[in-house]
Amino acid sequence: MLKYAFRRILGMIPMLFLISVIVFTLAKLMPGDSLSGEIDPRNTNPQYIQEMREKLGYNDPVPQQYFRWVGNFVQGDFGKSTRFKIDVSEVIGERLPNTIMLGITSIIITYILAFIMGTYAGRKPYTLGDNFISGLNYLGLSIPAFVAGVFAIFLFSFKLGWFPSNGSVDIGVTEGTLEYWLSRLHHVFLPAVVLGFLNIASYTQFLRNDIIENSRKDFVRTARAKGTSEKKIYNVHILRNSIIPLITYLGFDIVAIISGAIITETIFTYPGLGQLFLQSVGTRDYPVLMTLTMLFSFLTLLGNLVADILYGVVDPRIRLD
Amino acid sequence: MEIVTQKNPKRNAGPPKKSLSPWAMARRKFAKNKLAMTSLFFLVIVGILSFLAPYITTADVSRINIGQMGLEPSKEHWLGTDKAGRDVFTRLLYGGRISLLVGLSCTFFVIFLGTLIGSIAGYFGGAVDNLLMRFTDLILNFPFLVIVIVINAILFGRVSGLWVLIAVISFLYWGGIARIVRSKILSEKENEYITAAISIGCTPAKVIIKHLLPNVLSTIIVQATITFATMIVIESALSYLGFGVPQETPSWGNMLNSANEPDVLQFKYWIWMPPALMITITILSINFIGEGLKDAFNPKSRR
Repeated sequence: MLKYAFRRILGMIPMLFLISVIVFTLAKLMPGDSLSGEIDPRNTNPQYIQEMREKLGYNDPVPQQYFRWVGNFVQGDFGKSTRFKIDVSEVIGERLPNTIMLGITSIIITYILAFIMGTYAGRKPYTLGDNFISGLNYLGLSIPAFVAGVFAIFLFSFKLGWFPSNGSVDIGVTEGTLEYWLSRLHHVFLPAVVLGFLNIASYTQFLRNDIIENSRKDFVRTARAKGTSEKKIYNVHILRNSIIPLITYLGFDIVAIISGAIITETIFTYPGLGQLFLQSVGTRDYPVLMTLTMLFSFLTLLGNLVADILYGVVDPRIRLD
Repeated sequence: MEIVTQKNPKRNAGPPKKSLSPWAMARRKFAKNKLAMTSLFFLVIVGILSFLAPYITTADVSRINIGQMGLEPSKEHWLGTDKAGRDVFTRLLYGGRISLLVGLSCTFFVIFLGTLIGSIAGYFGGAVDNLLMRFTDLILNFPFLVIVIVINAILFGRVSGLWVLIAVISFLYWGGIARIVRSKILSEKENEYITAAISIGCTPAKVIIKHLLPNVLSTIIVQATITFATMIVIESALSYLGFGVPQETPSWGNMLNSANEPDVLQFKYWIWMPPALMITITILSINFIGEGLKDAFNPKSRR
C-alpha cells in the first residue's frame, strides 16, 4: 500500500510542474506584473514601468523568470497584493480559516445527512419514505448551487429570519468566547448546506443503491440463515460494506469545495478565499489572483490524488496497474 | 452532375423483419417513459418559444425604460419589469435563447473533442494513448471554474463575446468524455468484427467511424445529455458571477445576477424567480431525459 501511495505521489510531480508552467504562462499574459505585485497596474507612466521592469528582472529570459518565481513560491514568498499593499500570504492567511471552516462544516453536514437518508432509503426501498427521499435527490441534483443559495437566502434569511444572509460572524462579539463560536456556526450553516447540496443528493443515492445491492448478496442470506437479527444485518454486515466506497469520495469533496466556495461565498458574502478570488479579479489584484489560482490548482491535484489513493485502499485490485 | 433517384433499390427488398433493432427497441422504451417524454415535450416547447422570441414579443429587450422600473406583474407586463424597466417575460425568452445556444454549442464541441481524442487514444493504444491520456489528466486536474475565470480576466477588454466563452468552456471540459469514450473503445475493439474489418483493409479512420463509434454511440448520447445539463449550469453560474455571457446580453444567469441586490431578492421576487425556476426546471427535465435514455439503452431493464 505504501509503495502504491508513494508511486502516486511521485506521479504527481510532473503534473505539478506542468500546472505551474501553465499558471506562470497565464500570469505572463496578464497585463502588468502579476507575479510580485511590485508594479502597480494602475500606474501607467511608461518610465515608471520601464524602471520597475528592469529592477525586477522582467527583461531576463523567460525560463529564468519562471525559476525565480517558483523558487520564491516554494519559500512562501507570493509577492505583494496591489490592493491591500501587504504580502499576499497575509491576505490569504486572513481568509483561509473561514474557508476551512466552511469546507469542514459542509463535509460534516453532507455525510451526516447522506448517511441518515441513505441508510433509511436503502433499508426500506420503494416505500413512501424512500420515494420522498428520491424526489428530494432529484431536486438536489437538478438545482444548481447558486440557485439553491438564492432561494435559501430568500426563504431562511429574509422570510423566516432563521439565519443571517451575509458575513462570517456577528459584529460586537469578542473573539474566543462561546458566543463567538456559536455566532460563527450560525453564519456558516446555511452556506455549508448549499455548498454540500449536490453531494448530499448524490451520496444519498449512492448509499441507497449500494445497500439495496448488498442486501441481495450471499453473505446477507447466510447471515439471515444463521438467525442474525435484521437490525444487525443492516447496521453491521451491510453498512460496513456500503460505507467504505463512500469514503473514497472524500478526495473529490476537496475539489468540489474549491469551485463551490467561489460561488457560495459570493452569494452569502462570506469572507473566504472564493470571495477573495473573485474580488481580486474585479480589482485587478493579479498577485493575489495568481497565488490563489496556483493554490486551488494544487488543492485540486491533491484532492484527485487522495481519491486515487483511497480507491487503492478500498479496492486492492487497482494497486496492481 | 448525376442525379441519384434511388440510392439503394435493394434495401427494402430484404427478408421481412423478425424482431426490432436495438435502436427501435430503445426508441419504443423511451416513448413509453412518461416522465422522460413530458420532459422532452417541455424542453421542445421552451426551445421553440426561445428561438421564436422576436416573433412572440414585440417589446425591446435592451431598451432601458426609466418610467417603468421594477413594476409588479400586470396585464401589460406578464412577469413585471426589472430594475431598468425592461420586460422580464421578454428577457426570459431571449435569455433562454442564449442559455440554450451556449449549452448546445458547448455540448457539441465537448462531445466532439472528447470523442475524437478518446477514440484515437483507445484505438491506437501504446504511446499515442499514453500521450493523449496524460494530456487529458492535465485538463482534468485543473480547477475548471477557477481557470475559466482567470482566462476571462486575461481576455477582458481584448476579446469578448459568446463564442469566446463557448470555446474556453469547451476546451477545458472534454476530459471526462474522452476518458469514458476511451474505456468503451478499449473493450469494444477486442471484438472479432474489428479484427475482421482491419483484415479486409479498412483504414483506422474507417474502423473508428464505421465500426467502433456506432457501438459506443448509446454511451455518448447519454453523456451528451448529462453534459448539456452541466453546461447550462456552468453558463448560468458564470454569468451569475459576472464572468460569462456579456452583461448586456440577457441570459438566465445574467438575469439571476440581479438577485445579488438585497432589495431585489427580498421584495421583487418577479425579477429573479422566473430565471431561477427556468434554470431548475430545464435541468430537471434534461436529467429526466438522460435517465430515460440510459434506461432505454440498457438491454437488461425491462419495462
